[in-house]
Amino acid sequence: MPRRRVTATLITCAVLAAGGAAWFWARPSRRPPAPSATGPALPTRVAAWTAQGQAVSYDPQTIFSYIDGHAEVYLAYGMRRCLARRYTGPSGERDIVLDVFELASPEDAYGVLTYDRDGAPADVGHDALYRHGWLRFRQGRYFVSALAEQETGPAKAAVFELARGVSAALPGDGGVPGIVAALPAEGLQADQVRYLHHPQILNTHVWLDDANVLDLGPDVRAALGRYRRDGVVAHLLLADYPGPDAAARAAGAFARRFGLALDVTDSVKVPDRGWFGVGARGARLAAVIAAGSQELTAVLMRDALQEPKEASHGTP
Amino acid sequence: MGPLDQERGVTRRDVLRTFSALAIGGTAGCLDAGEAPGAAAQVPRVAGRSRVVLVRHRDVLRADGRPDPAVLQRMLNEAVVALTQEATSASAWRRMVTPRDVVGIKSNVWRSLPTPPELEEAIRQEAVAAGVAAANVAVDDRGILDNPVFQRATALVNTRPMRTHDWSGLGTCLKNYIMFARRPSAYHGDACASLGAVWRLPHVAGKTRLNVLVMLTPQFHGLGPHSFSPAYTWPYRGLVVGTDPVAVDTIGARIIGAQRREHFREERPISPPPHHIEIADTRYGLGVSDPARIDLVRLGWQDGALV
Repeated sequence: MPRRRVTATLITCAVLAAGGAAWFWARPSRRPPAPSATGPALPTRVAAWTAQGQAVSYDPQTIFSYIDGHAEVYLAYGMRRCLARRYTGPSGERDIVLDVFELASPEDAYGVLTYDRDGAPADVGHDALYRHGWLRFRQGRYFVSALAEQETGPAKAAVFELARGVSAALPGDGGVPGIVAALPAEGLQADQVRYLHHPQILNTHVWLDDANVLDLGPDVRAALGRYRRDGVVAHLLLADYPGPDAAARAAGAFARRFGLALDVTDSVKVPDRGWFGVGARGARLAAVIAAGSQELTAVLMRDALQEPKEASHGTP
Repeated sequence: MGPLDQERGVTRRDVLRTFSALAIGGTAGCLDAGEAPGAAAQVPRVAGRSRVVLVRHRDVLRADGRPDPAVLQRMLNEAVVALTQEATSASAWRRMVTPRDVVGIKSNVWRSLPTPPELEEAIRQEAVAAGVAAANVAVDDRGILDNPVFQRATALVNTRPMRTHDWSGLGTCLKNYIMFARRPSAYHGDACASLGAVWRLPHVAGKTRLNVLVMLTPQFHGLGPHSFSPAYTWPYRGLVVGTDPVAVDTIGARIIGAQRREHFREERPISPPPHHIEIADTRYGLGVSDPARIDLVRLGWQDGALV
């Protein structure tokens, strides 16, 4: 290979590596903290289902060997450990899989729960939901999933029994992150509220951009709400940054990306996507994403920023 | 305040067009030398149109849910004949592989919805029938980097079931090659946007002879940490076959999207958007993602084809 090409390749690699270093995963604060010294004891038997061997513990490095395609969601909420156990059922029944995720904080456990909110409310732990054999809840910094691989009456009963047993062994309560409570109430669809730090979690619920325009990361606490007012739909993102400068920079980047003036009363219509708006007050940023009308954009921006609240950096 | 009716900003497609000319380093921080996603930006696009074959058979699934090996093999061969426009399946397969080839069949072992062993065996048999020595054919997924046949491979056949995926939107033929990367997680950024770069790795580039997207019981929605429930699969009884992985995945994605509309009775787009398919076209030049430039050949059972 010619020396010039080698040099160019090395420079390209260096530039790419530097760019990669800025990526979410490479942030120093994203390095997974050590898990707690002990985890909950998982049952050896539930109804007619019996555990296959010991519970297995996975950390952020080994979780990919266990979960293919969804592990990144838990890592996006600072997963420290996943304690897993599989239960074999009687003849004609398929397995039940129990996964107990220890996240970085109770807020993160809330965030994981809000990633998928489809299901019927259930009375286990906090905010439990059930659908198609899958029961999950949060408790403290834990997110617990009990999944029957085939939903039957006995399997559903066993899943509930298993979840209740785990809940009884877990510490922690079920507070709601402060930033979530700051979402304006009018028109907010309760089952469409999410808590997040990671740009791709945002993009999963409402696509914003390929780049991390808002500089979301582990030190940013964000709540996303879907609104419906008078039949018009919009998404509102509230985010608390470490300080006013970071919030202002993020608002500025958003404004430049979508061609907005740095004025909370400005809004812009992006073809095929809807109306966008952004503003910051203190350490808090508000952004309206893909709203159905300019009027709703303006009202949500006004409601979101008219009464500044303390940044919610405490444990809920 | 901006004009009430003024449309500013850019669309997502604009972004993709723009990015197609750029080397994006967002996920490249821990890539090995030669794995830089941006390197493929200089690769010429596949010109013109792409042919994709959708073949379905009402009887390919038995009562126990397993594929009927004979029906499956017939479907595969009908697809390859239609794809190559050869007179027979034997001549069609000889277009795919030669006796001098070493063939790696890149499968998928995902516990909940793996590539059917019956299909792996059908492909293996056809490669051997086309003259490839049996010792020069291997099926593998997680162990491909250490598999001696894959290490010597001159030809690859790529096959996996279609499913939704929480980080890339869809588990596609394009995504199936992520195990060729030494650090697959390096390609996870921006909904796995840079998956096309894997196809430009030196031990992969230019070797793929056939892509078989398995849509016997595809998965159109995820559930739980392991992203699977039989409630979100349906007996589509099809294979999507082509030499262009982008075009194959584009057709598969349209079928999944249509099934989601039917099931949920509302517009519920695949989320996150599986934009790695379009980016594999616009940024990496691996094939055609524009449905208007895909010639879809439909064979067999047509009820509920969704596309």
